[in-house]
Amino acid sequence: MALRKRVLRTLLENKGRYIGIFILIFIGSFSFLFFRGFSGNYARLINEFAEENKQEDVSFTTYEPIADVPALEREVGAIIETHRHYDVQLPEERELRLIGLTETVNKPQALTGRDLANPGEILLSPGFFNSNGYQIGDKIEVGGKTFTVIGTAALPDYVYILKYVNDVMAPPGFGVGVVSADELEYPEAVTVYAVRFNDRTNVKAQVSGLYNALVGKGISLSEWMDASTNKRIRMPWATISGMQAMSVPVPTAMFLLSCLIVGLMIRRIVRSESVIIGILYAQGYRRKELVRHYLSIPVLISAAAGVSGVLLALPLIAPSVKVMATLYYTVPYENIAISFLDIALGILMPVAFLGIACLLVIRQELNKPPAELMKGSREKAKANIFERVLKLESLPFDLKFKVREQLRSVSRLLFLLFGVMAASFIMLIGFAINHSMNVVFSGESDAEFNYSWEYAFKELQQGEPSPGAVPFNAIRCYPAGRETVEFYLSGIITDVPYVSDLLDAKGNELPKGQVNITSLLANRLRIGVGDELTVVNRLDGKEYSLVIDGIVQTYSGQFVYMPLSGFNKMLGMPEGSYSGVFSEETQNYDPAVLSGAKDLRNVTNTMDELMMPMMTVIISLAVLGALIGAIIIFLVISLTIEESRSSISLLKIFGYRSKEVKKLMLGSSRPIVIIGFLLSIPVMLASMNAMYAYLGEMINIALPILLSPGYVVISFVLIYGVFELSKLLCARKLAAITMSEALKAGAE
Amino acid sequence: MGWGVRVFLTVTNLVKSYQTGIATPVLKGLSIELDKGQIGVILGPSGSGKSTLMNIIGGVDKADSGTADVGGTRVTDLSDSQLVEYRRESVGFVFQFYNLIPNLTVAENVEVVSNISKSPLPLQDVLASVGIADKKNRFPRELSGGEQQRVSIARAIVKNPALLLCDEPTGALDFNTSRSVLALIQKVNAEFGTTILMITHNSAIAGMAHAVYRLRSGEIAEATHNAELVPAERIEW
Repeated sequence: MALRKRVLRTLLENKGRYIGIFILIFIGSFSFLFFRGFSGNYARLINEFAEENKQEDVSFTTYEPIADVPALEREVGAIIETHRHYDVQLPEERELRLIGLTETVNKPQALTGRDLANPGEILLSPGFFNSNGYQIGDKIEVGGKTFTVIGTAALPDYVYILKYVNDVMAPPGFGVGVVSADELEYPEAVTVYAVRFNDRTNVKAQVSGLYNALVGKGISLSEWMDASTNKRIRMPWATISGMQAMSVPVPTAMFLLSCLIVGLMIRRIVRSESVIIGILYAQGYRRKELVRHYLSIPVLISAAAGVSGVLLALPLIAPSVKVMATLYYTVPYENIAISFLDIALGILMPVAFLGIACLLVIRQELNKPPAELMKGSREKAKANIFERVLKLESLPFDLKFKVREQLRSVSRLLFLLFGVMAASFIMLIGFAINHSMNVVFSGESDAEFNYSWEYAFKELQQGEPSPGAVPFNAIRCYPAGRETVEFYLSGIITDVPYVSDLLDAKGNELPKGQVNITSLLANRLRIGVGDELTVVNRLDGKEYSLVIDGIVQTYSGQFVYMPLSGFNKMLGMPEGSYSGVFSEETQNYDPAVLSGAKDLRNVTNTMDELMMPMMTVIISLAVLGALIGAIIIFLVISLTIEESRSSISLLKIFGYRSKEVKKLMLGSSRPIVIIGFLLSIPVMLASMNAMYAYLGEMINIALPILLSPGYVVISFVLIYGVFELSKLLCARKLAAITMSEALKAGAE
Repeated sequence: MGWGVRVFLTVTNLVKSYQTGIATPVLKGLSIELDKGQIGVILGPSGSGKSTLMNIIGGVDKADSGTADVGGTRVTDLSDSQLVEYRRESVGFVFQFYNLIPNLTVAENVEVVSNISKSPLPLQDVLASVGIADKKNRFPRELSGGEQQRVSIARAIVKNPALLLCDEPTGALDFNTSRSVLALIQKVNAEFGTTILMITHNSAIAGMAHAVYRLRSGEIAEATHNAELVPAERIEW
């Protein structure tokens, strides 16, 4: 059909606009396939690894060894394998956790090199291996022994490598190494019982059964770690869930925005060509032939952009999974597969979105009888409901004109509003995550505790602590009926310099000798001052009731603090006893009595390490946000100019100066850009808070989402800069409109 | 020529061609004059150059050679920015198809011009004088053709221009409406003393003008002037 030739010409006539739409759809298809492919493959790798290498369902340590493990295995229907681990300090502030090789539960898998075969060999975690520049065959000195590095390995119980299970990330320089069990004859090495149930259904109930069995036998637990709340195991799932969550809204937003703008453009084309359409009708063209013709533009663009997005995403998925599997969450990476359905959806979804939206628009226009069409479009002259309802008489003319200009096309206005919101949203997410992490992990928010070291003892201590050490006691517990929320109930001494003023949300000082809860935990549990909180000790299952006296405003930490004396009394512990100490200086404790020592000065280094990749993400998000913003604003401004050609021409005839025309026509979008940006702030905060709450529940962390005024200003400057740049680009289009257009106009 | 004592508009040897591959001459050394406060009519068929002549006088197009003086200003010598100022303050335009901005109300359409004028006439007075004060909050779509043309006239006169240029002001209107619009133009001329140049292909309108120029192929075929004007209400065609 001769009409086909017009399609290419139409595309070329407005290539800037169609390139913009192409990029929006491209981003949609790319993000859909990439997030789906990445999260799908990663989830599969983690699941397969967990199954094939027998990931634990629970692990625990005890004060006394369990006498008859096989009997316990039979009783609870599980495999229970003990292994030992031992932390060794290395030069240059590095630390390696030696873990004994297991045969049945948490079996390590070599990623490079080979499996352990001989004494004196070690498999290292890939992060530690790479950051230290080791080669296979290197000899390393660890804990007074020499090991030969034979490769790297993934461990099912250390998918996310953490030194302490309640940390958010490991200190820099920390890694794990798998060695033969015989190598771990260190007396200070910790013995861990790792349990995997034979019946893979209803594991949660079996975990409770095991717990009750142990408590029933009078076995004292020193540590209890359920895999469902173990960050070393659950953390990757938070990332996967986050990615899966992103695989829907990002492409949907891009496709919907594209639908809006393409629908607008197609309607404009069809209306402006109504006379031609009427003539073609009159000459015997069928409606479906014309529908097909006008539909070919959106279908061509969406198909081309969809295919391009998919083609770019496809080769990036496998390397990205590999990077993630090596650097962040260690799992064996093999057989990366991409679902054909996802590929098809990546291409067909935008075609369907745009096709349907444009079909509705085109059919609406083409339903009119040929005689009406041949009269030309009169519809555009009609005032819509918003224009009619608004009474603007008392406003200055410039303002009236701008309001009218925006209200003229509600769909165009919505496109701009939602587009700017989407662009700002993406930009703000990056900045908010960055700022939140800075606040939470830099320790600034933990101003109430200012100490450098935290030592935890294996057994309860009594008597005077060593000089400079401030005792505390703590139990890991959960609120009755809600096992996934774990926190520490701590008994502390408050009249020491390390504990500064505890402040509530209003900045009022809270008495230290009462039961105070951190605001993050209070929000998560939805409790307030005066509420009763029943907590269950994770290790012995005993319940305690507390009345909350105050809420400490903080952005990190899930704690309930109370005076040490009251704590010991409530738990029935000897007066003055303690399970750990805070200290400003290093304490020389015998490692055999310690269950852990935390150097809290490392937080800054850890932050730096975390922030380096974060900066890349933030810059990428800012660039993506600015790009989307630029495309949307450019599309709207150029469409506004296109739709107002005769008005612009008229203004020029009446003697409006260029800058006055620019101000009226291009400046009218300014309030929408500002409103869109402002609206994106609460929308971003609400949606990210909801997402963080969901993810936090998975991995038992409470992360607030915070936005600093500085970042808001930076984001606004970027978005506004993009707006001004788009205006600058469109100013040429404005200048190109001649006065003769209005002089020749045959319409109102 | 030169029958008036207070010549306001003088066009001398105006030449204009359009380049569309080959040069197409539109105005071929055309000259006209119009006194201050008078109504002039340019008559001619399509393609005779009347719109081009009006565009050059109105400062929206440029001549190849020749001069056009309006109220002592040589329009043909003005730079682009001077032409903007000239159109802004000195000339009002009335178009055949009204050229109203569809998403502005009647009052707002008039304000488009009063907004940039140094000393505009009171908006209410102008709307009342063209008979559309009661429709000031309507949108163009809600008005008849005649009413829209009245808005167009109100918009043109609100700045109290020295020269009002009307391009086929009745070309899209029926007979009765056309007569009432012409009557309004006469009223504007009488009430505000505005010099008016009107182009039309309807020779019946000639009777209401002081000076009448018939154009044919870019040249003046005939120039006449009427000692007595026919009131618009009595014009027949």
